[in-house]
Amino acid sequence: MSAVSMESRPRLAPGCRLGGSDGNQPVLLMPEGALRLNDTGMKITQLCTGDLSLSEIVDRLVVDVNAPDRKKIEQDTMNFVTRLHEKRVVDF
Amino acid sequence: MTPSPLALIAELTHRCPLRCVYCSNPLQLQSSTEELDTETWLRVFQEAADLGMLQVDLTGGEPLARSDLEQLVAGARQAKLYVNLITSGIGLNESFLDCLVRAGLDHLQLSFQDVNQQAADEIAGARVHARKLALVPLVRGRNIALTVNMVVHRRNLDRLEEMIALAEELGAQRLEIANVQYYGWALANRDALLPTRAQLDRSIATIKAAQERLRGQMRIDFVVPDYYATFPKACMGGWGRKMMLIDPSGRALPCHAAGMIPDLHFENVRERSLPWIWRDSEAFQKFRGEEWMPDPCRSCDRRGQDFGGCRCQALLIAGDAAATDPVCSLAPSRYLIDAEVTRVNARTEQPAPKVEKYPPFTYRVHAR
Repeated sequence: MSAVSMESRPRLAPGCRLGGSDGNQPVLLMPEGALRLNDTGMKITQLCTGDLSLSEIVDRLVVDVNAPDRKKIEQDTMNFVTRLHEKRVVDF
Repeated sequence: MTPSPLALIAELTHRCPLRCVYCSNPLQLQSSTEELDTETWLRVFQEAADLGMLQVDLTGGEPLARSDLEQLVAGARQAKLYVNLITSGIGLNESFLDCLVRAGLDHLQLSFQDVNQQAADEIAGARVHARKLALVPLVRGRNIALTVNMVVHRRNLDRLEEMIALAEELGAQRLEIANVQYYGWALANRDALLPTRAQLDRSIATIKAAQERLRGQMRIDFVVPDYYATFPKACMGGWGRKMMLIDPSGRALPCHAAGMIPDLHFENVRERSLPWIWRDSEAFQKFRGEEWMPDPCRSCDRRGQDFGGCRCQALLIAGDAAATDPVCSLAPSRYLIDAEVTRVNARTEQPAPKVEKYPPFTYRVHAR
């Protein structure tokens, strides 16, 4: 397995996409499953295009939420993406 | 409050080129003349999405046998459902696959009966294994998810490591290893299919090691055989809680096998809307919640986890659909399961014999 690092460029795996009808909470759809996303989860997922490194994704989030504690955002993002990688929802 | 459903299982047809000895379709199949038309399915998909469902499983029989499959995939996707195709792959080729992907297919689950061609074809009752293998490179080249599904039982469980290796080699994102569940045709072949305890213990160790080794590369889901469990499975995530199944003729069922429960009337989507069936029909309310539960379920701490287990298994083994699932160690009828398990294990005291005498299979005969 490829270890996740801050240089990894996450992208949604084939057959995994954002969904949900208008007005509902956004969901990440995957084979035989779905994950309901909060605002941050949604933002991270939208940035998993393969173009940005995890470090760059964190940069954007820090600006976006005007967060004082970059370390915490880094940790949360890493955990979230690692979890999705283990489900084979995010690839590198 | 009525729970909101997550997934629709659309059994598009009972037609199938295979006749697997553990087929989960009912013993009595519906003919093609009874099948719902395209328009009705498209309405059902829209109603499912409106009801809050996120996923649809297009299955059968063999869904590829429907000549309108491309339209159905497109309709389901337009309704904003995530589209899973559960298939043997027989009937699929490159251009048809392209059509389905263009129409919005998200995920293809391809079933294999074994790693060994002869054994696989014997289980399927048809020569299909090699054709399935040839499909995989076509699927991998496209932007859809691939799950390899292996149904396991006594005759192939000792080849589990080879199955995992095959799925790895095929580049599947996900491998589903599902022990046979004993309903319908599988129950008729239970004697030949139920694994031994020693086989099961070895398989669990193999799965654990593989899950660890392949983390992030291939996800492995394992469905245990409930005859060896201490507590029942949460069948369908609970009756009328998460799923609705529509059979080829349009009957709405809470699970694959529920049609055999006597004195229970199942509504048809030709006459009723999905929201009405889900919320108000007798069949979906019958075993929903806890009102119906007998003891020991009624006062059990696990009733919110397993919802009393499987109603169809209760009917098949204990003779009463409202009984506690017989696989539960607390069920009054557990002795019936124990007797079967003891019998199967006593038959093979010797460790993994090279040539075991198996009882013969009983095959389904398809009407033509």
